[in-house]
Amino acid sequence: MGTRKYRGIERKQARWGFIFVLPAMLFFSLFSFYPIINAIYTSFFDKRALSKLPPKFLGLGNYIRLFDPSRAASDLSFLNSLKSTLVFTLGTFIPLLIVSLILAVFISNLSSNKTKKFLQISYYTPAILSSVVAATIWMIIFDPRGLGNQWLNALMNTPGVDRRWLVDPVMEQVSTMVIYFWKYIGYFVILFITGLASIPPTIYEASTIDGATKNQVFWRITLPLLKPTVVLVSVMAMLQCLKTFSTQYMLYSNGAPRAPINVITFNIYVTGIQQQYLGRASAMSVVLFIMMLLLTLLQFKTTKSENVEY
Amino acid sequence: MQIEKRFTLPKIGIYLVLLVMLTFTLMPIIFMVSASMMTSRQILKMPYTWIPEGIAWENFAKAIQGNDKTYIFVRNISNSLIVSTSVAITTVLIASLTGYGLAKFRFRGRNTVFMMIMATMMIPFEAIMIPLYMVVMALRIQNSYIGLILPFLVSAFGVFQMKQFLTTFPTEFLDAARVDGMGEFGIYWRIVLPNCKPVIATLLILSFRSQWDNLLWPLLVSQSDKMKTIPQYISSFALERSTDEGAMMAAALLASIPMFILFMSLTKYFIGGSAIYESRKG
Repeated sequence: MGTRKYRGIERKQARWGFIFVLPAMLFFSLFSFYPIINAIYTSFFDKRALSKLPPKFLGLGNYIRLFDPSRAASDLSFLNSLKSTLVFTLGTFIPLLIVSLILAVFISNLSSNKTKKFLQISYYTPAILSSVVAATIWMIIFDPRGLGNQWLNALMNTPGVDRRWLVDPVMEQVSTMVIYFWKYIGYFVILFITGLASIPPTIYEASTIDGATKNQVFWRITLPLLKPTVVLVSVMAMLQCLKTFSTQYMLYSNGAPRAPINVITFNIYVTGIQQQYLGRASAMSVVLFIMMLLLTLLQFKTTKSENVEY
Repeated sequence: MQIEKRFTLPKIGIYLVLLVMLTFTLMPIIFMVSASMMTSRQILKMPYTWIPEGIAWENFAKAIQGNDKTYIFVRNISNSLIVSTSVAITTVLIASLTGYGLAKFRFRGRNTVFMMIMATMMIPFEAIMIPLYMVVMALRIQNSYIGLILPFLVSAFGVFQMKQFLTTFPTEFLDAARVDGMGEFGIYWRIVLPNCKPVIATLLILSFRSQWDNLLWPLLVSQSDKMKTIPQYISSFALERSTDEGAMMAAALLASIPMFILFMSLTKYFIGGSAIYESRKG
């Protein structure tokens, strides 16, 4: 009798648990799983937004078109988008990683807690501005008469040179990288400071007693123990960079050339929404999804095998 | 931390690097504030004079009146406030409900549900925006708050945070409340939710900010001026006023004020909130 009653309570509990997770399950099914399956499905068709005709089945046609080497010569091809996304991602995440690590080590070494906090907050401040605002500020800084030229020329002692920040194809890519770097540096500094703080001080004490130099401590102890954070930060930074859109959109809509900053998301937007080629845009989305999926899986794998026990 | 005395670079070098970086991060923000009070001619005078000669109030007037004096700025910033606040609230409610269900109840398929929700973290919004756009068109909810809010009701990251936090929540409290005859929903509402304040604050900020910063989705679903959000406003204002740098900076500054206020009053949750991502590893 007693056990049956107990089982009844357990079943009741199970029902409540199910009721509590139901809204989220419905949401994720409708707004994550269904759309990604739909994107994969649509990517096999020649679907246009305004066409009343049933979409034509193309098989891998959209993908073949995207990766068609003979289209690579065209400035706005998908292959070119892949290239500009790759350039942007590498050019942003490598400096982000190195500089934020250095800054975090420097800040952790400071003795005054007030200075530490002040620096963290100040470095983080750009992150609270929206990407659109960030791009707007920097567009004025990158004006031929703006602060960008003035400061760089003062620094390099080359008075009167215009770096063509928003005109020259290479400089335009550099400009987007600078804006992105500026916005996210504080965020990654904080991630690294948290990672550094989780390394127990006893390890440092032990190594100092053993006679390790400061340099050795950094390269042999801090860095290896920080590896999980380094992996996490790199993957997160890369994922962020692959999704970049607002900066490129702002620069382009204010007159900068499109080809050098025609990143994947921007290409999806133009192809799918402005030109209404939904099938082709879906194929691009699937490629983006696979790229990000591989990166995330890589992160899981690395963090799992490299988990450090102190 | 006592890593002091452990680095070879002289102290001066360290301070120099930190100072250069400080200038780099803060300079553009100070520039925005100072330029918003100047006329365009002053802004582009070489070399730049950081202190404005007077306050060019007309910049702010232009920013609020908009390109064709319709005061659409007010409507657009309200839209952003409405959408961001709604998303923040629904995220907290649904994420806490789900996190609670996953952390404190045993039911068949619980792990599967959790893994599935975690798996959605690997699906970037940018990859599913085209199908979502088709759904919105089919439901005819473009140019509406529902259309702006619907894809962001809850985030997998929020569910994860809530579940992690509630796993350590003492079950005795819940059982005690059950013995006292409290209903399951009452327990969630009156006991669980009030005890999650730090996670709730962090989640509120993160989800509010992500919508305040969202340009891509409103670009797809809000075509009418009345339903545009503040990033769209800034974007089109900057385009049509491209020679009026002062007004552009005034608009940018006005659009940032809500975030500045949030940041200054809840700094520790912003800083702690980004550190939370750290716990995702492993």
